[in-house]
Amino acid sequence: MSVTVRTAGLHKSYRDGIRRVEVLKGIDMAVEPGEMVAVVGPSGSGKSTLLHLLGGLDRPDSGTVEVAGQLLSGLSGARIAEFRNRTIGFVFQFHQLLPDFTALENVMLPGRIAGLPPAEVYGSARRLLVEVGLGERLEHFPNELSGGERQRVALCRALVLEPPLLLADEPTGNLDPESGELVFQILLELQARHRTTGVLVTHNPEIAARCTRKLRLEDGHLVPGNF
Amino acid sequence: MRKSLLLRNLPFPWVLALRYLRSTRRDAFATFLSVVAAGGLALGVAALIIVLAVISGFQEALRGELLGRTPQIEVELPAGLDAETAAAARDAVQKVPGVVSAQLQVRGGGWLVAGGKVQPVELVGFERQVPRSFPGAAGRRPGLYVPTSLAARWALQPGQMVEVVSPRPTLTPFGPQPRVRSVQIAGTYQSGRTQEERERVALPREVAETLLGGSDRRIEAAAADVDAAIAVASRLSAVVPKGSVVRTWRDLNRPLLFALRLEKALMFVAVSLVVLVAALALVADLALIISNKRAEIGILGTIGATPAVLRRAFVLLGGLVAGSGMLLGTVLGVGCALILDRYKLLPVPGQVYFLDYVPFLVKPADLALVLLLTFFLALASAFYAAQRAASLDPIEAMQA
Repeated sequence: MSVTVRTAGLHKSYRDGIRRVEVLKGIDMAVEPGEMVAVVGPSGSGKSTLLHLLGGLDRPDSGTVEVAGQLLSGLSGARIAEFRNRTIGFVFQFHQLLPDFTALENVMLPGRIAGLPPAEVYGSARRLLVEVGLGERLEHFPNELSGGERQRVALCRALVLEPPLLLADEPTGNLDPESGELVFQILLELQARHRTTGVLVTHNPEIAARCTRKLRLEDGHLVPGNF
Repeated sequence: MRKSLLLRNLPFPWVLALRYLRSTRRDAFATFLSVVAAGGLALGVAALIIVLAVISGFQEALRGELLGRTPQIEVELPAGLDAETAAAARDAVQKVPGVVSAQLQVRGGGWLVAGGKVQPVELVGFERQVPRSFPGAAGRRPGLYVPTSLAARWALQPGQMVEVVSPRPTLTPFGPQPRVRSVQIAGTYQSGRTQEERERVALPREVAETLLGGSDRRIEAAAADVDAAIAVASRLSAVVPKGSVVRTWRDLNRPLLFALRLEKALMFVAVSLVVLVAALALVADLALIISNKRAEIGILGTIGATPAVLRRAFVLLGGLVAGSGMLLGTVLGVGCALILDRYKLLPVPGQVYFLDYVPFLVKPADLALVLLLTFFLALASAFYAAQRAASLDPIEAMQA
């Protein structure tokens, strides 16, 4: 199953001292099922803010976000968390793994939060980790893994429940080119296999070029990017 | 390989709480605060159990001491009631269901004189047999019974004659004179070890009536046990003559029993402050853990942990710390109380107090109260701290 992400008239501003900075000035975007859309733009242009709004981690000042036909503004705090758990997978620039849990346990977390049977969650987490080449690292804690390995674990955690939408914020930004390439390759493979819809924020033009579509965030507006 | 917590069929908040309880041990300061919180709760619980046990122990001993000397039920008949009506009232009381025995008595103050020495006494004129409020002599034949302490002091022996003097005057050719009767001592009863205002002396009712008249007649009644007496007493008002006053052992010792209850309540409140301080330490402990785990709480939020799940996890973490303290405190408190009581390890001078050692009595109700109070204080603290974890914004928390 895939989803369409649709935003309409999305506005978001922040207070910086006494000044009000308007980061997003009316974003209208639509992501078709199975697409992998790259959002590029200079630092501070609001790429991460857009991703947080799409994932329901932040609320817009005005405008709407619709994911899988569900308006996020219509969901309460607890419902939005449950919706995120089942519908959206996140990958961040820094792996954001829980240091007190092993690689396998980190990947099992979304399933356990969702209340799925432990054995079932274990099976899918293990399968995914073996698939990304971490079969020997299941019982390792994050501080025992390399940067690339951690990011692969984070990717597995984002995709273990096979969410219809994957949101990735600079997933390779903190990795050396070789590890970054491996992680991105895996991301593309998994995304294609599960026909997951993806929105990826990146600085890397090469990575952006390999996505289905590229959008550029400029002065608070989203414009089609050039490959 | 150890089985992962996540593989166990535990609800997710339990998984999180148990893992954080283990991982917190790596943080020396958080561990220190957890130990302070759990240790404080253990000390508070143990102190409360021991303090309540010692007060209950003394209360129980004092109660036994008092009840042995106090009528279970006493009916004070109206002044000026003639002997026949009083006897009829006694018979009526005797017939009330639950009443085991009823006896008519005459009361009044007087003096005991022997060998040139005088002792003010409370005269209790009884019929048929010595009432049960005279331990050691209860049920014996009519005669004069004096307390063992007085008998020892004055070297009185059964069979010896003593004079009983009443302040009620009798008119003689020489003017009004106090009434005096010479009575033979029939025996002694076990005197109390508490300080009594006046020593009591039991004597046959006929003798007491000639000395005191019949102005203060009472019925002493007994039920199967002290608790039954309270219920029985409430049924007596309907059968006794108008103007009578029905009192139970509880009414007769009300000031003392009230003082004991008040003492227990105040001690409970005072020692509870230890538990309160420990509960505040628990807030500090959880606040530190939550602050250290801020980023992780944010990550959990992004992967779908609801505020309620996070709150429950940290309430459980607080509960695990508090629970270990409560368990340790209960074992410590109950163990100490039982050992100190069993082996009488705290002696006190028997001449000064009415006991030879400090008694401890752990009442289930007291224990339940202590644990309930501690549980609610710990729960409130954990809930307060956990609320912080639940209200964190995932993105802000992750960027912390």
